[in-house]
Amino acid sequence: MDPLQRIACDWCGGQSPAGATSCVACGAPLNVKNLVSDSGWREAPRLRDMSEVKFGSSICQVEGEIVPVAEITLGGRDSIFFEHHVLLWKDSNVRMDVMPLQGGIKRALAGMPFVVSIASGEGRVAFSRDAAGELVVLPLHPSMEMDVREHAFLLCSHTVNYSYTRIAGLRNILFGGQGMFMDRFVAQNEPGLLILHGYGNVFERRLAAGESIIVEPGAFLYKDSSVTMNIETQKLTTGFFGGVGMNLARMTGPGRLGIQSMYHHHHTD
Amino acid sequence: MRMSMPPPQPTPTTRSYRCPWCGHTADAGTTSCPKCGAPVDVRKATTDSGWAELPPIRDMAKIQFGQSFCQIEGKYVPVADFKLAAGDGVYFTHHLLLWKDEQVQISSMPLAKGWKRLFAGLPLIMTQAQGPGRIAFSKDAAGELIALPLEAEQSVDVREHVFMIATSQVVYDWFQTGIWFTTQNGKDRETHYPIGMFMDRFTAGPTPGLLLLHGNGNVFVRNLQPGQSIVIRPTSLLFKDPAVSMNLHLEYPGGMYGAFRPWGRWSNRYVWLHLRGPGRVAVQSHSEHMEDPGFSIHSTEPMATSRQW
Repeated sequence: MDPLQRIACDWCGGQSPAGATSCVACGAPLNVKNLVSDSGWREAPRLRDMSEVKFGSSICQVEGEIVPVAEITLGGRDSIFFEHHVLLWKDSNVRMDVMPLQGGIKRALAGMPFVVSIASGEGRVAFSRDAAGELVVLPLHPSMEMDVREHAFLLCSHTVNYSYTRIAGLRNILFGGQGMFMDRFVAQNEPGLLILHGYGNVFERRLAAGESIIVEPGAFLYKDSSVTMNIETQKLTTGFFGGVGMNLARMTGPGRLGIQSMYHHHHTD
Repeated sequence: MRMSMPPPQPTPTTRSYRCPWCGHTADAGTTSCPKCGAPVDVRKATTDSGWAELPPIRDMAKIQFGQSFCQIEGKYVPVADFKLAAGDGVYFTHHLLLWKDEQVQISSMPLAKGWKRLFAGLPLIMTQAQGPGRIAFSKDAAGELIALPLEAEQSVDVREHVFMIATSQVVYDWFQTGIWFTTQNGKDRETHYPIGMFMDRFTAGPTPGLLLLHGNGNVFVRNLQPGQSIVIRPTSLLFKDPAVSMNLHLEYPGGMYGAFRPWGRWSNRYVWLHLRGPGRVAVQSHSEHMEDPGFSIHSTEPMATSRQW
């Protein structure tokens, strides 16, 4: 196709045919202006109800706006993995397996999902989380590495390598608001698709090398693996037993940083 | 030499717009009220019963106070993103902080009657941030942000845990609600506070200020006329004008269950908050469940009323 007849997506960089109203790679509306605050945070694209995203030979359709559902039509050679409790419904012919995970005891002790399930095509399967929020569709290009807050990922295509990374530093573990580990998703030789669920609204900013911003640790949703996180304590004195410390995360670029506006800890089990 | 004066130019006619929510008059060319963020081009939606639905502040709308701005971002759990000018400040409950620039200094704000606040479950720490710089806040529930511009010396009463942020021109105080009842179970007595033991009161000083609240779900406001009254679910109350008086109101249903009430330990009843004008009252559509163990009522606040159907 003539490259001049394609539309580039501002969110993921994917290219869609001329006339498309949403990006085929991430579902972002192409005919809606980016919403960027004066402070530089960009709102995650609000996926239009029933918009479709393609990956491999499969299609993901996003349904609903308050607690959106990701409905996947799996092609014959495709599969996806997910935490088992986000499954909403499936066709009876969709095969279910359990993904072998390394460090199972560590994961169990750290409160990370111990069982990650795999659904394989052909057939339809749908997922949703248990709170109002937004789906964040992140197409991963080969060699891209993404760190995600635990229990934030909804589903991921089988071409993406799933592991976890231990959060460095005792302060970060104790006061970082997300335990000992973060999920790490790495696209190796093929592109893949990662879908997250952010509670409330989701905002992203791209930090330049050395640029840093201070965020509430519970608001952290995802980051490029090149972005570092360090916990700093702000002392607040009250006169009662010397006051309390307020723990905030300093995120330093380069790379993307995503946050969610409803950052109360949500138990999903 | 005589200078010729230029001919007088006609004064351009400017269309002004009066915000139905805060009463501020602004240029009609704006898309949202600069004082409270309410959209200009949305018709005020009022129910047949008289409740006006607060129009959600449009994504990326800006509110000005002093030399500073607040930008509202998001739809489901909106973020209040402040650009504080040098000399301007805000205070807030510390768990609402979402992110901040490095140069924004935060510190704790001294609060009087700390022990009482501690025992009443009110936030013990109020945090203040000083400009210049950017700082943003959000609450942990889906709902709406309510921007209440306060004119000089104007006050508003806010139910506990609803408050988000106030500008430094606004004075923070609190008072006992006086809304309570006591239940008795055998020899055990327990006091219940349907809207909490205390209520926040915010008063603008000699200069106007801005107050931001968060309502869970959707927010509805009505203006009660003098003497006009309404009963509401106590936990749905968001804010009211100080002129609006309130008292506990108990209702006992009729029929078979009501008939057993005098002989049973368990009593079926509705606990209401009775509000009487004049002034504004705001409620939220998603309110927490109010605990009522159902034991017999031993005593109530002196102004409480009741009705048997």
